[in-house]
Amino acid sequence: MNRTVLLVGVIIAAVLVGVLFMGLGKNPAEIRSPLIGKAAPTFALRQVGTTNTIDISQFRGKPLVVNFWATWCGPCWEEHPVLVANARMLQPNVQFLGVVFQDQEDKILSFLAQRGSGYPTVVDEAGKTAIAYGVGGVPETYFIDADGVIVAKYNGPMNGDIIREHLQKVMRQ
Amino acid sequence: MTILAFVLLLQLQVPDAQQFVGPPKGQPLTGDALFQRTNEVGALLRCPVCQGMSVADSPAEMAVNMKNQVRELLARGYTEEQILEYFEKSYGQFVLLKPKSPVVWLLPVLALVLGLIVVFVKLKKLQQAPDPPTANRQPPTADDPYLARVRDLVSGEKS
Repeated sequence: MNRTVLLVGVIIAAVLVGVLFMGLGKNPAEIRSPLIGKAAPTFALRQVGTTNTIDISQFRGKPLVVNFWATWCGPCWEEHPVLVANARMLQPNVQFLGVVFQDQEDKILSFLAQRGSGYPTVVDEAGKTAIAYGVGGVPETYFIDADGVIVAKYNGPMNGDIIREHLQKVMRQ
Repeated sequence: MTILAFVLLLQLQVPDAQQFVGPPKGQPLTGDALFQRTNEVGALLRCPVCQGMSVADSPAEMAVNMKNQVRELLARGYTEEQILEYFEKSYGQFVLLKPKSPVVWLLPVLALVLGLIVVFVKLKKLQQAPDPPTANRQPPTADDPYLARVRDLVSGEKS
């Protein structure tokens, strides 16, 4: 009986350690979104500071990086120059698009005027686009292939290496 | 200016629930029924930026937006199942406060049943075990030297 109890205990402990090890080995920023592998939800939103509408479908045919952000988000400040530099470097082969939500127009314009902009930014007025994309916090970035399918999602501020690594996944599609 | 704003509004397009769950399958709600159902369905959705709070309870802007979305979908005739499915397709099962998988509900019951079986088996084995050897021992007699020594020690302490 004692040996049986010991064996069962060892098996349970081994399973728990295995589950913990698998969990600890994962990058918490790599979110497994249920939208990965599915067509990106379509939207047409107003470009900040203008009355122009930008429709996501107009970028079909080349990889698209959709970055959800806000001026009140500290990590977005950190990420912004990296996004701008990569957008400038990779254009016209890769398109970047910023989607701002839960923010104010004047603050967005002031932010972009001070820190530069290398790609269009649209305003998600009631946060409906963010909800459809399953955005929890900002920054969150979606990598969409030329056919409009979501290939990867990254949660948190990105550096150049992360952007390139995810774009390679998109290119492989 | 008003016309320009109206034209712009027509051009704007946000992702629609129809892309995810098809057309509404229920009756559009209004008034008190809409208010009540919004709170009921919102209570089933987790606020993604809060610590374990529902969309109905959280004052966070994200939760307010989600609650507004729930209200709008109910007003358009979407059912509770469709609305939960819509949010699940964007956020995953994480967003559901009541998990759909029956395993989550069955595991505690299974663990309890297993525990009861272990206790039952253990008790039965204890009952079947032979009496301990102390049962065969003779009761100590009055002239037992060990008892006499103990009595001496106890009486010595008292004095």
